[in-house]
Amino acid sequence: MRLSNTKSLNELAKTIRTEHKKVQTAILVCAGTGCLANGSLEVAKSLEKTIKRRKLDVKLHLAVKKTGCHGFCEKGPLVVIQPGEIFYKGVTPADVKEIVERTLLKGEIVERLLYKDPATKQRIEKYSSIPFYSKQQRIALRNIGKIVPGDIEDYIAHDGYQALAKVLDGMAPGDVIESITTSGLRGRGGGGFPTGRKWRTCANAKSNGDGDDTIRYVLCNADEGDPGAFMDRSICEGDPHAVIEGMIIGAYAVGAHEGYIYVRDEYPLAVQHLGLALNQARQRGLLGEDILGSGFSYDIHIARGGGAFVCGESSALMKSVAGEVGEPRAKYVHSVIRGLHDCPTVLNNVETWANVPWILLNGADAFAALGTPKSTGTKAFSLVGKVKNTGLVEVPMGITLREIIYDIGGGIIRDRPFKGVQTGGPSGGCLPESKLDLPVDFDSLTEVGSMMGSGGMIVMDDRTCMVDVARYFLKFLVDESCGKCVPCREGVYQLWQILEDVCHGEGRPGDLEKIEELSKVIVDASLCALGKSAPNPVLSTIKYFREEYEAHISAHKCQAGVCKDLFTFVISEEACTGCGACLRACPVDCITGAKKKLHTIEIDKCTRCGACRNVCRFDAVEVV
Amino acid sequence: MEKTLFITPSRCTACRTCELACSFKHSVNGKPGIPRIRAFLLGEGKNQVITCFQCDDAACVRVCPVEALHRNEETGAIEVDGLRCIGCGLCSIACPFGHVRHTAQSEIAVKCDLCAGEPACAAFCPTKTLEYRP
Amino acid sequence: MTEKTINLEINGRAYQSREGKTILEAAREAGIQIPTLCHSDALEDVGACRLCVVEITHDDWKGWKGLVTACLYPVEEGLEVTTDNAEVQRARKTVLDLLLARCPTSDVIRRLAAEYGVTQTSYKPSDLKTTCILCGLCVRVCEAKGASAIGTAGRGIQKRIAIPFKQPPPDCIGCASCAHICPTNTIKFEDKDGVRKIWGHTFEMVRCTACGQPIMPEVQMEFEAKRSGLSPEYFTICPDCSQAKTVETLGKAFDLESAETRSSS
Repeated sequence: MRLSNTKSLNELAKTIRTEHKKVQTAILVCAGTGCLANGSLEVAKSLEKTIKRRKLDVKLHLAVKKTGCHGFCEKGPLVVIQPGEIFYKGVTPADVKEIVERTLLKGEIVERLLYKDPATKQRIEKYSSIPFYSKQQRIALRNIGKIVPGDIEDYIAHDGYQALAKVLDGMAPGDVIESITTSGLRGRGGGGFPTGRKWRTCANAKSNGDGDDTIRYVLCNADEGDPGAFMDRSICEGDPHAVIEGMIIGAYAVGAHEGYIYVRDEYPLAVQHLGLALNQARQRGLLGEDILGSGFSYDIHIARGGGAFVCGESSALMKSVAGEVGEPRAKYVHSVIRGLHDCPTVLNNVETWANVPWILLNGADAFAALGTPKSTGTKAFSLVGKVKNTGLVEVPMGITLREIIYDIGGGIIRDRPFKGVQTGGPSGGCLPESKLDLPVDFDSLTEVGSMMGSGGMIVMDDRTCMVDVARYFLKFLVDESCGKCVPCREGVYQLWQILEDVCHGEGRPGDLEKIEELSKVIVDASLCALGKSAPNPVLSTIKYFREEYEAHISAHKCQAGVCKDLFTFVISEEACTGCGACLRACPVDCITGAKKKLHTIEIDKCTRCGACRNVCRFDAVEVV
Repeated sequence: MEKTLFITPSRCTACRTCELACSFKHSVNGKPGIPRIRAFLLGEGKNQVITCFQCDDAACVRVCPVEALHRNEETGAIEVDGLRCIGCGLCSIACPFGHVRHTAQSEIAVKCDLCAGEPACAAFCPTKTLEYRP
Repeated sequence: MTEKTINLEINGRAYQSREGKTILEAAREAGIQIPTLCHSDALEDVGACRLCVVEITHDDWKGWKGLVTACLYPVEEGLEVTTDNAEVQRARKTVLDLLLARCPTSDVIRRLAAEYGVTQTSYKPSDLKTTCILCGLCVRVCEAKGASAIGTAGRGIQKRIAIPFKQPPPDCIGCASCAHICPTNTIKFEDKDGVRKIWGHTFEMVRCTACGQPIMPEVQMEFEAKRSGLSPEYFTICPDCSQAKTVETLGKAFDLESAETRSSS
């Protein structure tokens, strides 16, 4: 069972690959959280049952068993059949019989289950021909959707732990750091700090004079907290070994023998799969004492977050790991010098770690050739909001916002007008249409008041109120602030109060100036990045959507039709066809109208929930 | 040369000049401080003047929760770091001789610090009851 | 261990400090005042109130400058510190303005805020009805004492100084250090008739064996005796009586001495 050296690892890989070659057809059922919620597990079970009943010789792969996201979450449950890359979307147990009879047995395509490109109106058969996938370049997500995350052998068959073997066989720790530095890899958690430089500083830091026995730690930040972001979740659920392999290589590079993966408890599948993977790796001698007989030892424990966004901040995370209250500290002395238990510590994000084995195996130059000179490689994004193709994508850095939202994302749902895109979570900002041709990388978005952040990308249409968006992010931070420092605890709370007033029609002249003044001090004087970046959403929306704020404050008007105290709905006489869809959709029965005649809303009863507007195909419900 | 504050109580007239000198030497913002030395009028030949013994293993140093009491290596005196002191009063209570004082709550501890090497009491004592010498 | 000399500039003038000192310590030694609220020389700094912010820059930083808390930032060679410019003033003023919104009834905050021109808060006053500014000094001093009886609960705007399960904290020794160190006099205790009431506790106080004056809670006495290794007797006599006893003891010793002298002459 235990692999005593790299040779036995290679032999095992060879053996498994030979076994896999015997499989003629494989069915990859996405069991990522999204598809699971949509019933993919039932699809998988039904496939298993049907195949067994028909006594077919097909090895059923549950791609990423209970996790492992194919990415095209909008279209789930997803099934990919190999060979042939046949991509079926929206599969239900009722479709299974037809899939087995026609596709598996006769090689026929079930047309209605294919993805239909809304632009060309053509159905596309192959996975790699679908624009959502064809424009991606999957490095961090390379294995997700292909392997069973609970199966280390599947990982090994896909070049798993080969990078580690290469490192342990012939690279000195300094060589590894050199390679990562040359690759240009920068932290994927939002900070974008050059990873090689971080490792080098840690490797050089000594905790007790010139002693050789400095204890160091190598940690993984899996506390992904940005609303709308699920890149790290998918990696932890779908390819936990990639993270582990990366961490072992990192530990070797800096001289650490102990580490933690700090994962938020709100990701139960990630916790489960990481735990499973760690045990498997230990059993095989790939983790723990004397890894692959190299003499190098490193082990990883799991520490679970207790539900605090602020614990994604490095110093708060380390306090939490140490069993203390997760509050950040002033980082005038960085955690690479004094981190966990006051020892030199490397903390990197999940996606950063997932890139490491690929870089070591394929070469730093191969990674640096992708993306842009200052932002090399690729980045995973969770594309969500009012976009047609919601899901998880990985693209080379430097791709424009427009390409992501339109070419990959398919544009706005129902082709409504684009209004803004929010990136970087609560620390980021909203950018308008005029900025859509900006390249997405570490620096370009920051220059215009937003930031790429950890990869959450929320697309908004004309029915989004930007003031409400700012209010939402501020409320989030009010709840998540640790409360230690005054500018954040009191200041962000007061900012939120002002926006609450504005959204309820109690905005006053001078509010915008007050917001800007207070924001300046919060940015300057807060203790940690949560506070310092808290004003970003409100400042960026004021910068690009100032008229909307002014309408809320002076005219008490929300043109987007979101802030319930600041508008009413009226059905347009010209546009209404009398179809009655709104009448049926209204939850408080306040719409009346005869068939094919103008319908009317009884304003006093109307709760302005927007159901009528959403369901109307003629845009007849207007905001006044 | 290491000096010690010598007290010869038989010479003491209990004139209390030492208390006055100490009080003025330790005044803060023009307000006279609590004297760290006390003279007692008890009768001819029985007068006494006492101040901190600067104990080797001082109880005050032991009990301080924030290490605000330290020995000054040059003078040998145990000094209170006024900025560190949190006014808890433990040193006053612990001192078996009543040499450390507080007034009301929250004020810092005060005690004889040998005036950083130039004790005012000895300088002003008219009868050489107090002498600061090797 | 050699203490390296550090050369830095404060408000345009050159000063010297030593490696390991903070800007606050260096400024104090230079006679420059920087306001603080959550700082105490007795305890570790946390940089929570942000009142002591100063602007720093350096020749090597390519024009970068920013605000840092003086209580925590270590002095470094070539550091240029400004303790009192527009940015610093604005930050301090806003901090106090925000604290005034939180604690409109606190005299201490009102006074401090007035020094920065804030007589009325620009923000929405809180209905928390508290004078606690969450500086954390009480929790830290309790920890330093070795009791760790009180702590904080909640986070963000919900954060508050709390006692376990809202009941008199079992580890409290009644020393009232928390009350003494609180900069806004928020923590209250009452000494009356030989009994101290604090944090919901009613502590019997030990009385001076000589004069009967209450000295400290009995629980505290036991704690201090154990912690310091001194016998409880050290804590059961008040300073005045200790002094009187000393005078008496010395008096007896001198009598004995002079009696011996007389008898031998």
